Amino acid sequence: MNKIIFFLLLVIFISCKVKPEPLQYGIDACYACKMTLMDEKFGAEMVTRKGKIYKFDDVNCMLGVYHSDFESQQDIAHLLVVNFAKPTQFIDATNSWYLKSDSIRTPMASGIAAFATQEEYSPFKKKWKAILMSWGETNTQFK
Amino acid sequence: MKNVQFIFLIITLTFSAESLAGKIIRVGASEEVTRIKEAIALALPGDTVLVQPGVYREGNIIIQKSIALIGEGYPVLDGENKYEILTVHTTNAIIKGLRFIDTGIGSIEDKAAIKILDSKNIRVLNNQFENTFFGIYLANSSHIWIENNELKSDAEAEHQIGNGIHLWKCEHITINQNKVRGHRDGIYFEFVTNSLITNNHSEGNMRYGLHFMFSHNDEYRNNTFINNGAGVAVMYTKGVKMINNRFEHNWGSSAYGLLLKDIRDSFVSGNVFVENSVGIFMEGSSRNEFKENEFIKNGYAFKLQASCDDNVIERNNFQQNTFDLVTNGSLVLNRIESNYWDRYEGYDLNRDQVGDVPYRPISMYGMIVERMPTAVLLWRSFLVFLLDRAEKAIPVLTPENLKDNLPSMKAYDFN
Repeated sequence: MNKIIFFLLLVIFISCKVKPEPLQYGIDACYACKMTLMDEKFGAEMVTRKGKIYKFDDVNCMLGVYHSDFESQQDIAHLLVVNFAKPTQFIDATNSWYLKSDSIRTPMASGIAAFATQEEYSPFKKKWKAILMSWGETNTQFK
Repeated sequence: MKNVQFIFLIITLTFSAESLAGKIIRVGASEEVTRIKEAIALALPGDTVLVQPGVYREGNIIIQKSIALIGEGYPVLDGENKYEILTVHTTNAIIKGLRFIDTGIGSIEDKAAIKILDSKNIRVLNNQFENTFFGIYLANSSHIWIENNELKSDAEAEHQIGNGIHLWKCEHITINQNKVRGHRDGIYFEFVTNSLITNNHSEGNMRYGLHFMFSHNDEYRNNTFINNGAGVAVMYTKGVKMINNRFEHNWGSSAYGLLLKDIRDSFVSGNVFVENSVGIFMEGSSRNEFKENEFIKNGYAFKLQASCDDNVIERNNFQQNTFDLVTNGSLVLNRIESNYWDRYEGYDLNRDQVGDVPYRPISMYGMIVERMPTAVLLWRSFLVFLLDRAEKAIPVLTPENLKDNLPSMKAYDFN
């Protein structure tokens, strides 16, 4: 009996957890700019504690909504960005590396690409002569 | 002494005229020069490289001279699914009558059939493109003329294909009479100013038929946009003229005939919107004029978000649309006047062709569907009909001020 209750509780808790959803390129539209997502190297997603999912095509679109009063920042459960080096793969936005350069052509002209590790970003940093930024610095760019 | 000078002048002119005419270098299997690259290396500024019919597999060809590259009988330049075919970096050049096939596909690099970089005064005429990643790609260039090209691609996934005609940071460009099919965006403008897009046909592209971003003071006229994934998008731009275009059959959940976002001081006139999910969707836009457009058989003819102000919607025809106009707020800062609405049920006692009672284009149910999209299931049911009638008599949900005070009794004839 106990086992069953435990199992039920487990199921309930698992199903309560809010989970991000993969971006469907060519189908999903950016919440902020309404453009259909196309470029798999870019993209972002914001998930609230209640499980509402906002999808974006570029980091600046997400930051625009994130810094508006639209959703309180405490209510955000996940902030995710797409890893430039591994297209379509999400990484934690607050813990990523960002490169900014005019040679990066992003969907909404932010000029910012996100990376998970130093190994991933260093070849691109050289090639684009890009500036390296953290999440905090990236935020100040689009406040 | 004067005579001598004169004779000298004549001699100089004669010789210079001869050198200006340039020579013609023929390229072909049976010619002396068999490779295009070789011919370009031999050519001097002002020369013409005349390419004979045949298939040329030469990897990436680079033009850095003021020459004309002209094909006879559409010679094929094959990118073998690996290369960018033609890269141009010069002033005063012509590329004409060539057929480009199978460029490489790059996820990081934007490979194109013709890439024009930091150039000026280039003409790209009468070319054909098949299965190219990007068709014609322009960056940092000005005074370019793109005419009569035909671009066709049949990639299956959106991200495996680039834009048909792609412009980035350009000015004074003319794009006339091109046909674009099956690309990501048919024609793409980013930071392009003072340019003209006329008589093009953009059909069956994966995302937008035409896509404008941060491109001011451009004009597009007499273009046709049919069956594109999400219609046409004009964003973050001011001073655009959109005249006599046709937006047809752009169906889908996030598809619009014309998507306008953050547009200022623009002019939309003489356009026809037929069978789109949403004829025009406008958000965050100010001081635009919509005159003499026709909205026929759309799901929503006009979605006017409350974030828009000072826009004028005047003398348009609204016929056979499921919803004529919807908005998402009660504040109305736009002028809607003298339109023809086929749903208007008012009368005209003084016979001046202007209805005597105002028309409220927003149906209550349209407002409900705007808030709760799934409610559209009940549309056209008897209950909804009753609710709509009740709302017409005593407006509760619909914005009181949103009305056309001078509705036309007859459809305008714009032809």
